[in-house]
Amino acid sequence: MKTHLCCIMVLAIAGRAATGQADEGLQVSAGEKLFALRVQPLLAEKCLPCHGADPAAIEGGFDLRNREGLVAGGDSFGEEVLIAGDGNNSKLYLTTTRREEGYEMPPKEADRLTQQQQWWIRDWINAGAPWPGDQRVARIQEAFGDGERVSVSRALSDEWQNRRYDPAKLWAYRPLARPSVPAGRHPVDWFIDRQLAAVELAPAPPADARTMVRRMSFGLTGLPPSPDDVVRFTDAYHVDPAAAISEFAEQWMASPHYGEHFGWHWLDVARYADTAGFANDYSRPNAWRYRDYVVRAFNEDKPYNEFVRQQVAGDEIDDSDVENLLATGFLRMGPWEQTGMSVFKETRGQWLDDVTDTVGQAFLAHSMLCCKCHDHKFDPVPTRDYYRLMAVFSTTQFADREAPFLEPENRDGFAGSDTWVEAKVAAYLKQKKELAAKIDKRRKQEIGNARVGNNGLDPGDEASLARLSKNITRHNLERDRTQPFALSVYTGSTIHRNNVVGRITLPPARWAKGTIDKDAIRSGGNVYSLADPVTPGALSAAESLGGMRSIEFPGGKASRRRALAEWIVDPTNPLTARVIVNRVWSWHFGKGIASHPNNFGATGGVPSHPELLDFLATWFVDNGWSIKKLNHLIVTSAAYRRDSRHPDRQALAANDPLGTLYATFAPRRLTAEELRDAMLSVSGELNPAVGGIPCRPDLNREVAFQPRQIMGGAASVYEPDPQPARRNRRTLYAERIRGLRDPFLETFNQPGPDKPCELRETSTVAPQALTLINSQEVFDRAIAFADRLMREPLADDEARIQRAFQLAFGRLPSQPELTSCLQHWATATAEEANKSYQRTEFPDRVSRTVMAEKTGQPYTFLEIMPAYTAYQPDLQPVDVDAPTRGLAIVCRVLLNTNEFCYLD
Amino acid sequence: MHRTPHIAQLNRREALFGFGTGLGAIAFASLADGAVRPPHHAAKAKRCIFLMMEGGPSHIDTFDPKPELTKQHLKAFTRRGEMESAMSSGKRYFVKSPFEFRKAGNCGADVSSPWIHLREVADDICFYRGAQVESVNHPTACYQLNTGNQFGGDPAVGSWVTYGLGTENDNLPGFVVLPRTSYPQGGAGNWSNGFLPATFQGTPLRPSGSPILNLSPPAGISRERQRSDLDLLAELNRQHLAARPLRDELAARMESYELAYAMQAEVPGVIDIDGESQKTLDAYGIGDTSTDAFGRKCLLARRLVEKGVRFVQAYAGNWDSHDYIEKAHGALIRSVDKPIAALLRDLKQRDMLKDTLVIWCGEFGRTPDNGFRGGGQSYGRDHNAKAMAMWFAGGGTRAGHTVGATDDIGATAVECVHHIRDVHVTLLHLLGLDDNRLTFYHAGRHKQLSQFGGTVIRELIS
Repeated sequence: MKTHLCCIMVLAIAGRAATGQADEGLQVSAGEKLFALRVQPLLAEKCLPCHGADPAAIEGGFDLRNREGLVAGGDSFGEEVLIAGDGNNSKLYLTTTRREEGYEMPPKEADRLTQQQQWWIRDWINAGAPWPGDQRVARIQEAFGDGERVSVSRALSDEWQNRRYDPAKLWAYRPLARPSVPAGRHPVDWFIDRQLAAVELAPAPPADARTMVRRMSFGLTGLPPSPDDVVRFTDAYHVDPAAAISEFAEQWMASPHYGEHFGWHWLDVARYADTAGFANDYSRPNAWRYRDYVVRAFNEDKPYNEFVRQQVAGDEIDDSDVENLLATGFLRMGPWEQTGMSVFKETRGQWLDDVTDTVGQAFLAHSMLCCKCHDHKFDPVPTRDYYRLMAVFSTTQFADREAPFLEPENRDGFAGSDTWVEAKVAAYLKQKKELAAKIDKRRKQEIGNARVGNNGLDPGDEASLARLSKNITRHNLERDRTQPFALSVYTGSTIHRNNVVGRITLPPARWAKGTIDKDAIRSGGNVYSLADPVTPGALSAAESLGGMRSIEFPGGKASRRRALAEWIVDPTNPLTARVIVNRVWSWHFGKGIASHPNNFGATGGVPSHPELLDFLATWFVDNGWSIKKLNHLIVTSAAYRRDSRHPDRQALAANDPLGTLYATFAPRRLTAEELRDAMLSVSGELNPAVGGIPCRPDLNREVAFQPRQIMGGAASVYEPDPQPARRNRRTLYAERIRGLRDPFLETFNQPGPDKPCELRETSTVAPQALTLINSQEVFDRAIAFADRLMREPLADDEARIQRAFQLAFGRLPSQPELTSCLQHWATATAEEANKSYQRTEFPDRVSRTVMAEKTGQPYTFLEIMPAYTAYQPDLQPVDVDAPTRGLAIVCRVLLNTNEFCYLD
Repeated sequence: MHRTPHIAQLNRREALFGFGTGLGAIAFASLADGAVRPPHHAAKAKRCIFLMMEGGPSHIDTFDPKPELTKQHLKAFTRRGEMESAMSSGKRYFVKSPFEFRKAGNCGADVSSPWIHLREVADDICFYRGAQVESVNHPTACYQLNTGNQFGGDPAVGSWVTYGLGTENDNLPGFVVLPRTSYPQGGAGNWSNGFLPATFQGTPLRPSGSPILNLSPPAGISRERQRSDLDLLAELNRQHLAARPLRDELAARMESYELAYAMQAEVPGVIDIDGESQKTLDAYGIGDTSTDAFGRKCLLARRLVEKGVRFVQAYAGNWDSHDYIEKAHGALIRSVDKPIAALLRDLKQRDMLKDTLVIWCGEFGRTPDNGFRGGGQSYGRDHNAKAMAMWFAGGGTRAGHTVGATDDIGATAVECVHHIRDVHVTLLHLLGLDDNRLTFYHAGRHKQLSQFGGTVIRELIS
């Protein structure tokens, strides 16, 4: 049986060679072929990383670079390591079967060899374990190799350079195909229906109007449809579904909320946040202008190639254009900090790693970090390409550059922000002055040759002084929120910085001070260990396999990023258009045509509909890189219009077991942001203003007051904006603080802002239920919702419940639903009539306790919260009558339902 | 064919703490829930209590005496170099430990004088002096210690362990964190599930206020009212589900409300320590101002692991004593000394120490030298990634031994030196998990706690 399999394999190779160009006169044994084509590449990929790649650190002394090293057996094996002719008893084979306790190889379970790979090794040993020389191996590979060679810049090892790839897994690098679509057929459906027909699976029927109006309204704006939208859409849909969808898609995409929603998708990839993270978590006071640039870009339907150019190289293209400067905020969005406790060279190296990886993931769907230390395990991306791409950024420097406010930028709330910062800083300065005076009075000369703290001061006073100073510094940075600066970059020398706090100014001469980073491969990714020099460049496989136009990357003081931007958006780049259309597709369908929007490599899987992906990519470029046109094309397809249920579930399960054929539309839960926005929307509290400085919504007060450590003490309390209209803005505008996540949003799977997020996760966990039934925020929304219903001119209680259903679900209640809700309301009102409520107090100071670093003792201090001096709470129970409170209880239940939280 | 909702088929725990439907979760559906799973190999440790000394406790002033440093005391020198931070550069001076050291237990472990209680259980402890980390910055070092990755966003050790082993109590999270009143630098990212399903996120039990956020409804909402509301919710959801019978996630979400309702009643009972005897409370130092806070955490940790929680991490600090180390470390040691000794005794007495792994360490150690700040010399120490204090107890570790050594001033580990990733691999190993098998596919590769693989530190294992 086993021998038989082996024969088939060898015959297959020979058969292939017969059709290819045979190397005349090359006489090769089966064992040699097996070695050259299978065993050696396997050794290179799976074994050499620990057993030869680094001759100075060969694990267990077992050197697999040549036959002599193998036969020597290293520290652990004797002659039994390789018994020529007896694979089954050779340790080399046995370790790969993972049956040798303590010698399971490769060590990582995920790297385990397939049974076929194990048998290649066994059969090669059975054939006498021939190990031909490099030249002969190359000849054999040339003559008989069945994989595909890929020409890349240059690998760290020859084995890697010459390795062959499964052609199917190189799909992302191939030139874009232009599959044709018969006239009159919707291209999306042409490709999708063909695959459905191939498995004889009928798609689900179209969804009803109410499902479609919710699907499209949330899908294009992130907000629920208004009852008026529902009526108008439903009427139009009954007349002509296709026309209704087309027309309403245009309407929704013309709304500024479209840009907010699509902008948010992009900000997930860019990992937008308003603070820098780590020890100080300093404010990035101008980050909001990047966020609004992104929103504007989608609203204006800025061509995607232009969107890429601006974010990668806006400053190099034209730094007099404010949008260009704002766009480059993309390059600085990751967490970053340089303090006296970090080594600048390492911090710089970390940013270079970060920007290289992020640009790779965001625009090219390549997780570049995979090849930082070694040539890529699976993809044709050598380490050299990683450092070539990094070299593009080695002259990129941070600066907060002057950038006058543009006409469309929302400057509301500037005064309020400045007033609050002013008051907060003033309160701290007053406390600091008092404390300093107290300390001066009490401080005693320390006794002894080294200070031990016998200075007569109260525990905590010294710590408080440091805390006050640090928070004054932190809040002073927030003054820049209203100043015309852009979180941006420039091209110049690297200036060593010990401690970076606040605005980094643009040096007058960009190359005068500092040094130009050396562009070289860093051995093992270590910033101190420079190896081969490199010049700027990008993914060499995209050029060789994709047949890309050759683009020269300059070095020195030239505009390196500009060249990269042109490389990325070149129409002959095989990756870029595929990557973005796949992202847009995933934003509509919840999954990509290629299932990992940030990873088009071999481990990301092959596309479910490769021709559709290519069609969309070329169509997109042909249509001016317009995201709005692409959206329109997608939502007008029958695939987008399908019901989420299938009439024949057995056929569905049998013929589309992986759910990749789009026979139904995939239902989804609202995202964290959509959920909060939808609640504010139905309660009537949502402030629809677009753009502007970050707002501070109410968040769970225990979390808001929860002390958190920053360098030098505890960060200030989180203070919400005093006015409800500012708090109740779309979640997009809520200040994103890396060190203080909003627990509501985090619970509903909002991704952390540290890594690019390719697609939202959805989990169902009990804390979500606790949040929606118990949290103050949801109570507040329910009271406002009920109050709205009571104030609207509605005939009676029945009409109020009907209106509640229309707002929340876009439909009228069924008779049983109506009866249950009315009854629930009546009971609740009766209960509420017997209750009395107190107005909630919001004191403007809070007592907090933290640990003093210098004494190891807790200390308590008072913090002033200026936001609460004029705080206007949302509507409270005490503000409304018992029937309204009773109705609020019903409303809260509606906000908890599956129907409210899910889209079909 | 009409099918009834799937509630009955759902794993209770899956619905309570996680029902992943995200990308990773689809690929690893069988691992997405917290049900108990067998370890990779036979293990002595079944659960873990991680005592996290945030801020970086000094090895030199706790368990690693340096007589040579006493000789160099206050001797000044200068340090420069591109591999140094501003903190470690410039004019510096050596600082001796202000504490005496005395041998403890039959094993003769080195324990500094402020430890009065811990020295009595020294024979149950395996002290380790060989660990090193890579960062001298608190948040990055905390992330590295807690997640294996300096930059945050990766799953915490506790998340990996519960992902590997599940938990034995469906009504409690598998991974519980007992933070200080103030959260550490880096915040909740220190107990994040990272890219693992949300089931495995660390749940903080807050020391004040509501132990779990939103565990109770706002004032004025009675339990009867809530029951009635949940009944209406269930009724509306049932009608919605009837038209969507195949939708497991909708049924799971319905069940999650019932479980949340049950949790509200059950959690307070688990964390209420009032039922413990006065003798126990005294032993843990509860009621005494200096030890109360950490005493409660240690007692709670024991109660939680007893109830089947897999991984508990308790925070103490702040050990960041750049100045006044005698005062600061003295007070900090006193605040944890009695509670920890009580915890080890209590576990032993319940025959749980043998299969409960206890770890004590901070995110890095401290330097033998200090910088001139505020115009003079002071008894304090900066951050040191090359040497640190760490010990293990129970769970198959080598009780009564001291493993590894630092150089004669405590500047760097020189014997049995291991990167923190090897400590992670060893921790997993003790719990029956193989770091090379405990992987999760994310961002193009199979990720693991050690990042790229590591070595079990055999010297620590009995």
